[in-house]
Amino acid sequence: MARIKAIIVKEFFHILRDPRSLIIVFIAPVTMIFILGYAFSFDLNRIDAAVVDFSQSDFSRQLVNRFANNRIFVLHFAGGGTSGGNPLRAAEEMLRKEKIKEIIVIPVNFSRRLTVHGQADFGIIIDASNSNTANLVFQYNEMIVLEFIAEMKKAGQLFKLHTKIYFNPEAKSSFFFIPGQIAAILLMISAMLTSVSISKERETGSIALLFISPLKSYEIIIGKTIPYIIVALLDGVLTLMFSRFWFGIPIHGSLLVLLFFAILYIIAGLSLGILISTTAPTQKAAMLAAQILTMLPSYLLSGFIFPIDSLNPVLQAISYAIPATYFLRIIRGVILKGSELKHFLFEGLMLVLLSAILLLAASRKFSRQRKAVQ
Amino acid sequence: MNQTVNAIEVRDLVKVFGHFQAVKGINFNVKQGEILGFLGPNGAGKTTIIKMITGLLKITSGSVLVSGLDNQKHMALIKKKLGYMSQKFSLYPLLTVLENIEFFGGISGLTRKELRDQAARIGAQLPAELLRQRIQALPPGIRQKVALFVCLLSDPEIILLDEPTSGVDPEMRRKFWNEIYQLKKNGKTLLVTTHHLDEAEYCDRVIIIHNGEIVWQGEPAELLQQNRQISIEELFKEVISKHGQN
Repeated sequence: MARIKAIIVKEFFHILRDPRSLIIVFIAPVTMIFILGYAFSFDLNRIDAAVVDFSQSDFSRQLVNRFANNRIFVLHFAGGGTSGGNPLRAAEEMLRKEKIKEIIVIPVNFSRRLTVHGQADFGIIIDASNSNTANLVFQYNEMIVLEFIAEMKKAGQLFKLHTKIYFNPEAKSSFFFIPGQIAAILLMISAMLTSVSISKERETGSIALLFISPLKSYEIIIGKTIPYIIVALLDGVLTLMFSRFWFGIPIHGSLLVLLFFAILYIIAGLSLGILISTTAPTQKAAMLAAQILTMLPSYLLSGFIFPIDSLNPVLQAISYAIPATYFLRIIRGVILKGSELKHFLFEGLMLVLLSAILLLAASRKFSRQRKAVQ
Repeated sequence: MNQTVNAIEVRDLVKVFGHFQAVKGINFNVKQGEILGFLGPNGAGKTTIIKMITGLLKITSGSVLVSGLDNQKHMALIKKKLGYMSQKFSLYPLLTVLENIEFFGGISGLTRKELRDQAARIGAQLPAELLRQRIQALPPGIRQKVALFVCLLSDPEIILLDEPTSGVDPEMRRKFWNEIYQLKKNGKTLLVTTHHLDEAEYCDRVIIIHNGEIVWQGEPAELLQQNRQISIEELFKEVISKHGQN
C-alpha cells in the first residue's frame, strides 16, 4: 500500500505542476463544452422569409401575421398585389444569395377560394441546400400553418389537443447534446491522461526505474489509475456544473447515481489509456490515439448524434463495445429524466463488463511489456 | 569481504534486435567490492548489457548471474540487491529533491522512519535549500549527485551506473568519483559505464567494448603498460582503430 501511495502522490504532483496536464484536466473540458455546446445545436433562432403576397386580402394578411407574430420568423416583403416588377423573381434572388431561407407565396385567388371553397393553396419555397436546416424550417412552417388552419376551421370547437412534452419541454437540442458531450469528453480525458502519463515515463526513460523497482505491475497500474479517477471525476463535476450554470441544463436525477456509473465509465477510459500507452511510442502519438479512439466512436457510434438503430448492422455491433453507448444513456437519463439506479441495470452491467475486459487487457499487455521492455 | 566471489557473472551473452546483433556472446565477471569500468564508443553495447543485467531487456541467449542468482528466474530477489542509475533518466524534474527521495524510497518499500533517516542523511550532504528545489532547477552535477543518492536509498549491494557523469563539469566529476570510491570502501560493488576515458583510471578493472564485443579487459595500469601507451585515451583510440580494421 505504501508503494502505491508513493505513486499516487507523485502523480498528483505531476498533474498539478505540469502545465500541459493542467490544460488537459481543467481548461480543455470546459472549453470543449463551451464550443461544442454552441456548435452542436439543431435549434433555429431566426428564419428569414420573403413574403410574396399576390392576394393582398384580409385572409392573406392573417396568414402572414401568423408568421410575423412568431419570434423566429423575420419577414421580408418582396411585393405582390399591384406592385410592379416580378416579386417572385426578386425573392428567388434573395434565396440564392442566402439572405432568406424560404419564400411564402400567396396566390391572387387565395381569399376567394377560401371563402367559396373553404380551402385554398399557398406555397412555401424552402432552401434545402442544408437538409438539416430545411427540415427544421419545414417543421416550423408546419406548426404555424396548422395553427392557421385550426383558426380558420375553428377546429378547437370540435376537439382540443393537449400536448405535454416531457423531459425537455422546450425541445432544446443543447439539453440533448451537452450531456452527450460530457460523456465523450470524460472518456477522452480519462484515456488521454493515463496514456500520456505512461508514455511520458517511457519517453523520458523513467519507466525503467519503475520496472526495476520492487513494484508489482498491478501496483503501478493502481497507483497510476487512482489519481486519474479522482481527476476525471473532478472534470465530470466541473463540466456538469458549467453545463448547469452556463447552458441551464437541468439536473433532475441523483448525482450519486451518476457518480457511481461515472467511476465505472472512467475506469474503462483509463484502462483504454493504459492499453494505448503500451503501443504508442511517444506522448504525442498517445494523445492523438486517445483522441481518435475515444472521440470518434463516442460521437458517431454511441447514439450521441445518430440513433444506433439507424446505423448499419456492423456499426451497430461495434457500438455495443463502446463504453460511451451505455454511459450516454445513463447521463441523459439521470440528468434529463431523473432516472434512478434501477433503470440502468443493463447499462451498469455492460460498463462493469467493458471496464473489466479493458482493465484485464491493459494489465496483461503492461505486464508483458514489463517482462521485455524492448 | 571475500574478493573472490563474483557479484555478477555474464556468460555468452547475446542480444539481437531484428537482424542486428548488438551484443555478441560476451563473458565477464564483476568481483564483489570492485569498481568495473565499461568503456566504449556510442552504440558499442554498454547500455544494452547493463539493461540485460537489470532485467530491463530480454536476453536473446546466454546467462547473467547476480550474486549467484539467474536473472531470468530470480529477478524479484535480484532487484533487492541492485541499484541502477540510468543514463537516460534518473529523477523526476517537476518534483523537488525531497519529493524524489520520498517517491523512490516509497516504491522501494522503505518505512516512514527509514525514509526520514535517509532524507536526513542526504540532507546532511547537500545545502539545505536544495532539498526543496525542483530537480529541473538544479545544475547537472547536483542532479547527478541526487540521482546517486536516490539509487542508494534501498542500500543495494551492487550498483550499476550508466554514464553517471555525462554532461557534468570536470570538478563535479571528480567529486562524483569520490562518492563512488566511498561506496567501494563501504563494500559496494560497482559497474560504471563512461565515455570519459580519463575516468577509466579510477576503476579497479576496465572492459573496452566495441561493436558488441569485449576487445580489451584488465587493470588500467596493466593495460597501459602492455600497450605502451601513456593514457587510456590513446590506448582506447588504438584498440578501437585496430578492432575496426579487423
